[in-house]
Amino acid sequence: MSDGGVLAGTFLCLEDAVPEGGALKIEIAGRPPIAVFRVQGRFFVTDDTCTHGEASLSEGEIDADECVVECPWHSGAFELSSGKPCGAPCTIALRVHRFERRDGGLYLLG
Amino acid sequence: MARIEIVDGAAFPCEAGDTLLRAGLRAGLGLPYECNAGGCGTCKVELVEGAVDNLWPEAPGLSDRDRRKGRVLACQSRPSGDCRLRLRLDPACVPPVRPVRRGARLVGIADITRDIREFRFRAEGPADFLPGQYALLSLPDGLERAYSLSNTANDAGEWHFQIRRVPGGRMTGRLFDDPPAAVMLDGPYGLAHLREGPRDIVCVAGGSGLAPMVSIARGIAADPADQRRVHFFHGGRAALDLPGEAWARDLTGLGSRLDYHPAVSDEAAPGLPKGYIHDILAGWLGERFDAFDFYCAGPPPMVQALEALLIAEKGLHPGRVRFDRFF
Repeated sequence: MSDGGVLAGTFLCLEDAVPEGGALKIEIAGRPPIAVFRVQGRFFVTDDTCTHGEASLSEGEIDADECVVECPWHSGAFELSSGKPCGAPCTIALRVHRFERRDGGLYLLG
Repeated sequence: MARIEIVDGAAFPCEAGDTLLRAGLRAGLGLPYECNAGGCGTCKVELVEGAVDNLWPEAPGLSDRDRRKGRVLACQSRPSGDCRLRLRLDPACVPPVRPVRRGARLVGIADITRDIREFRFRAEGPADFLPGQYALLSLPDGLERAYSLSNTANDAGEWHFQIRRVPGGRMTGRLFDDPPAAVMLDGPYGLAHLREGPRDIVCVAGGSGLAPMVSIARGIAADPADQRRVHFFHGGRAALDLPGEAWARDLTGLGSRLDYHPAVSDEAAPGLPKGYIHDILAGWLGERFDAFDFYCAGPPPMVQALEALLIAEKGLHPGRVRFDRFF
């Protein structure tokens, strides 16, 4: 948190902008696109582009029970909490980002 | 003959006995794929209508979640009638040479290292493929494996494979101990083929990954307009796996345009660096990642280490690092 009134982090979106069981793609200038996922009330923030092919994970299928996102192209899969690949053909981990929930908004840290 | 239709897309014929994947590629469609052997999981499709015989129900390329959702591997599916599939085609997978299944005769055998042997087959018509591609080789009883080609395209119809003997392996046991006079060859397949580019080349061959890297190097040697240098990293378990620079320059036809970087992983040997070939490469490269394009073939730990280093850590575009993965 801040001291001296300067709040940390880059604004991503309002929590309400991310549908339950869905995802939102966020473009921030100068960096690869980000995906915000909302699964059973929990939020996850990762890179949006699959590590295997040029596909947007925010358009992928979310398995709420396993907390996994499946890439819409080759159906490779990643654990949302860790970014660990958990379905072929994905082999490279997805980057997971630290974030903060504040006043109904989500902020990217680091 | 079955008719295979892609939802919102093209349709293609599938001959009896052919797989969904190979039939689609034969028709010139970019069905996503990589290994053609059930391992990589790239060719997953959703079977919307129709039925298939699953050649390998436990294939590692498919997860339980995939099975639950009715997905199949196109490379392990033989349609039992007309089918409809849901999939997204990939322009990068459109075959540069359409694969064909053809009969071939064994015309020569030569030892390359202590456990890698070259098998030369000849088929009717020109042998048309790109350096670094593979073909599926099948015996009269149907036993089939994918092997990388080690030569380059030629009008004589010669298809050469440098195959490492796998201890206890069914296919290599047959090839080494009782070589078949006639086989079927299906190919070419594979995306890890030689591309044009402005940078010099690094080839990384681990164990039986030798053949495709030899083919890549030979492809450069065969093109007078291609003046790229090749840095050939060759990993073996012991000195006997690594016949030396003169051997490599001769084998690839590159002569002094090839620099040979051998390393042993198991048995230390005088004059040879000891370590995994990907670590040896990392040490040699330092920070010069932008100076080269990379071609890599070898066992999964080597491929994973190189993927982690070159793509995840150094951020190279995946198009600059081509992998021939073994499963």
